[in-house]
Amino acid sequence: MTRYTYYPGCTLKTTAKNFEDSTLASSEVLDIELVEPERWNCCGTVHALATDDVMHHLAPIRNMIRVEELKEQDMVDNKKMVTLCAMCYNTLKRANEVFKSDRDKKKKIHDTMYREDIQYSGNVEIVHLLEVLREGGWDEVKSAVKKPLTGLKVAPYYGCLLLRPRGIGIDDTDNPTIMENLIEALGAEVVDFSHKQKCCGSYHTVHMKEAVADLSYNILKQAEDAGANILVTACPLCEYNLGPRQTQIRKQYPSFDSIPVVYFTQLMALAFGLDEEATAFEANKPDPMPLLTEMGLMEKNKNGSNK
Amino acid sequence: MEATNEMVTIYVMGKKYEVPGDLTIMKAMEYAGHQFRRGSGCRGGYCGACATLYRTKGSYKLEGALACQKIVEDGMYIAQIPFNPAEKITYNINELRPDANTILEYYPEVSRCLSCNTCTKACPQDIMVMDYVQTALRGDIAKTAELSFDCISCGLCAVRCPAEIVPYNVATLARRLNAKYIDGPSQHVLDRVKEVEEEIYDEDIDKLMKASKEELAELYNNREVDLSE
Amino acid sequence: MSDYESGYPEYMKESLEKVKQTRADRVGKRYAPMTADERQKVLEGYHPDWKMDQKRELKIGHNKGLLMPHEVVDQLEAHSIVDTSKIDLEKIDYDVDIMIIGAGGAGLSAAIIANDNGIDPDKILIVQKLRLGDANSKMSQGGIQAADHPRDSPVIHYLDIIGGGHYFNDPELVEAMVKDGPDVIKWHEELGVKYDKLEDGTMQLAPGGGTSRRRMHSCKDYTGMEITRVLVDEVINREISYIEFTSAVEFLKDDKGQVGGALLYDLDSDEYKVARAKSTILATGGFGRLHIQGFETTNHYGATGDGIVMAYRAGAELVHLDSTQFHPTGSAYPEQIVGQLCTEKLRARGAQPVNVDGELFVYPLETRDVEASALIRECYGKKKGITTPSGMIGVWLDTPLIDIINGEGTIEREFAAMMRNYHKFGIDIRKEPMLVFPTLHYQNGGVHINVKAETKVPGLYAAGEICGGVHGKNRLMGNSQLDLYVFGRRAGKAAAERAETAEVGKLSLSHVDDYERLLEESGVETDRKSPMLLPEYRGKKTIEHQLKLL
Repeated sequence: MTRYTYYPGCTLKTTAKNFEDSTLASSEVLDIELVEPERWNCCGTVHALATDDVMHHLAPIRNMIRVEELKEQDMVDNKKMVTLCAMCYNTLKRANEVFKSDRDKKKKIHDTMYREDIQYSGNVEIVHLLEVLREGGWDEVKSAVKKPLTGLKVAPYYGCLLLRPRGIGIDDTDNPTIMENLIEALGAEVVDFSHKQKCCGSYHTVHMKEAVADLSYNILKQAEDAGANILVTACPLCEYNLGPRQTQIRKQYPSFDSIPVVYFTQLMALAFGLDEEATAFEANKPDPMPLLTEMGLMEKNKNGSNK
Repeated sequence: MEATNEMVTIYVMGKKYEVPGDLTIMKAMEYAGHQFRRGSGCRGGYCGACATLYRTKGSYKLEGALACQKIVEDGMYIAQIPFNPAEKITYNINELRPDANTILEYYPEVSRCLSCNTCTKACPQDIMVMDYVQTALRGDIAKTAELSFDCISCGLCAVRCPAEIVPYNVATLARRLNAKYIDGPSQHVLDRVKEVEEEIYDEDIDKLMKASKEELAELYNNREVDLSE
Repeated sequence: MSDYESGYPEYMKESLEKVKQTRADRVGKRYAPMTADERQKVLEGYHPDWKMDQKRELKIGHNKGLLMPHEVVDQLEAHSIVDTSKIDLEKIDYDVDIMIIGAGGAGLSAAIIANDNGIDPDKILIVQKLRLGDANSKMSQGGIQAADHPRDSPVIHYLDIIGGGHYFNDPELVEAMVKDGPDVIKWHEELGVKYDKLEDGTMQLAPGGGTSRRRMHSCKDYTGMEITRVLVDEVINREISYIEFTSAVEFLKDDKGQVGGALLYDLDSDEYKVARAKSTILATGGFGRLHIQGFETTNHYGATGDGIVMAYRAGAELVHLDSTQFHPTGSAYPEQIVGQLCTEKLRARGAQPVNVDGELFVYPLETRDVEASALIRECYGKKKGITTPSGMIGVWLDTPLIDIINGEGTIEREFAAMMRNYHKFGIDIRKEPMLVFPTLHYQNGGVHINVKAETKVPGLYAAGEICGGVHGKNRLMGNSQLDLYVFGRRAGKAAAERAETAEVGKLSLSHVDDYERLLEESGVETDRKSPMLLPEYRGKKTIEHQLKLL
């Protein structure tokens, strides 16, 4: 069992609780223990774009101090910070790079955070769970599979922040394979499609939902046309724009066929044979359970509900 | 403890005074001739009326304190903040639920929190203010209630917050939601209320009400004392 | 551990060592409570109430002859601060159904209940001398009594109250208290007050001085503050109107002898304002800032006894003002916090009063008057106290026992306020005892009310510490908090009912002129003016301490 610091991020505790639940359950199967620090703060999503903006780096850096504290207390085995939300991953990693490379900013940040018990050393490594899985080897994942997702045609959706900018992304920007490898290890079929790194519209969903619906429609339609019957993602905002936003999409594109969108860890939990608390499909919209039941990947309860 | 019997120099709103060095800021201001109308309340660290900002000689750091609890120092520059301009959002507690987004609905500015920790530095009650704003941000109402419990709403955090959040108002909402819905009422209290309504104690209380002083004294001095849990 | 430096002066080290040495033996040691005779003896010998040269009879008005402390009589035998000839009562600044004077626990409750009973929020006016919620209520630390423990009952509570009050309490008022008690707790929980509870969701109940059951509900040691801030939040949410930094100074009466409002003094603009109301609720709290017998006080800045003066001039009955409560454990060191409250809950959780030789000398949970007297006797009678650099004498309150008895972390959790308070002045109460001496705390008597919170004067209600008759001549811990909400709510309800039909006639201050005449006729020669509104602490008065003891 390897213990990593786990950084949940705000949405995984609220609207994306299903992402957290499926993550913690499936990680355990792979002997990955995710240790949440007692204190952590919002990463500040997104990365501060003005180059002289030091204030917005405090939030991410403060979390790295939490990792170093956990390591010092021997609660974790390394100085990696495992994130699930792609936006958190991106923000944290970029702040970390700025801190390590810019001596002036480093000093300003130290000076402002004088009330912390330790000064950040710069030695924390921000990683996405997918990277941890890749490092452990896809065979490890495969050997944990109890119910291969045979017949499931999965479109891997990366979105923007998992792959960009270069040096921050977890895989090659143009030709990533990390999600594909995971999907195959779980026994499902990968459906490659043209829009897998196209933006879903992100936070424009707040005040420009029609534009977001347009972008998301394109992504989903391409995946459907390529033959996918389900989409996976690693970002709660993408999940929202591609999933629940389908109601808006249908208003603008009445002929649109709905297609379920789930987190990659939910598919992992399903393939590992874990129970419904772990797969946590109840919160997903549209509901993936009819599809999964129909394909024999999930069992129906005696009372007709899904298991 | 830095108190001294010697006289020290302090500046109150810029005006210079010589005061005994072992006085609190509050008493020092009174010694200097000031009668509080605003800025003095319980005088014991409970009410937050005497929120004060000060700097000490040679230091650029702006500190916050309660005037009734902080002893003066030589060269102290003092300003009182008896009121923090903050709109208090109104709500009907009976209509709310302790959902993850309830707090953000009423105090959306919470999402502007930069985690800069200025609020925590300003707090005279040693509360981890930033931490409870963060737990409020992610909908952890119980934790927000727990961390903010000792808050006396002095206003120093709100005055200094760059994101213009009023933490103590956020905390009040969290605490009420937590106590009312997450903790909920104790059943034995509700049971006893019902018993009283059903008048099962009336007869015995009536007897006591009619008893003479001597009878009462007899009962009182010989009453059973059971302090077990 | 050895990093900690004692917060006390070097010369106290010897005594502190003795306290440390005797501690292990004293854990869980049971000191027998006094017999009725012993209690009477210590009260007569040492309680400040028994020093007859510190009191005198009131010479004016319908309660002439009543015995009260000099400081209170001085306020009553005084001219009004208002020059009635200069006041124009034709111009009404505020016209409401219910005016509530004072916004502590009683006033705030009254406002909420009045609103519940059909009075519109803008027809209720809370008048507050300082800020909304500033009152003694907020400072209460240890708890509120209500008989909801399975082995407790309102009957047992009744006996505790009336015995503690030396049988001077009004039976009907005590009945109201004990029966309303559990409902008050229920009401608080509905509003969102967080009481300390055990793992299983039941209330964490503690004993108190003079209680025969565990009955004290608490919110750490911030009980009053927690309840007050919830009530303040509720009042603001309901948009009940209120004005701050405005003090009522005299009541207004009409031609039918009713109280029809009050004359208000705006502390910001130094102007008088006229407020008319169909029902008026007096909830002005206590008189600690009169410094009875020179004692320091636990009370807040505005506790200057204004309500007694206004009510008496308007014709209300006063009772039991010869009885003043001194809280046994007020802080005696350091100088900066002398007089501040050290909650009785400390003793309820195991702290013991200990003399200079490290000896436990009294049952820690006698009723307050008895306990206070015992501490005064130990210091001044038996001369076994500890003298502070400023000349005060006190005894130790051995707080480290609390963690020893209940487990490490108890003080940090349940006495966060006390710990923080002392920590600011260099003392860690987990490691060292506190130094304590009785402090002026509570007005046992006051304006007489009935179970509907009505005073003798139509249109005038009263609730909270300003009232007399509820606690007899000695209040138990946690019953003042109970009193606030029981009678605050009853006042709100009764005032609301009255406001539906009451009519206010032509307003006048003639009763104040009448009182002035009585003052002249009494032969009392004085420049004094009342009500006081704010205590005088400017200049050298700040550092003067006079304890007219023994």
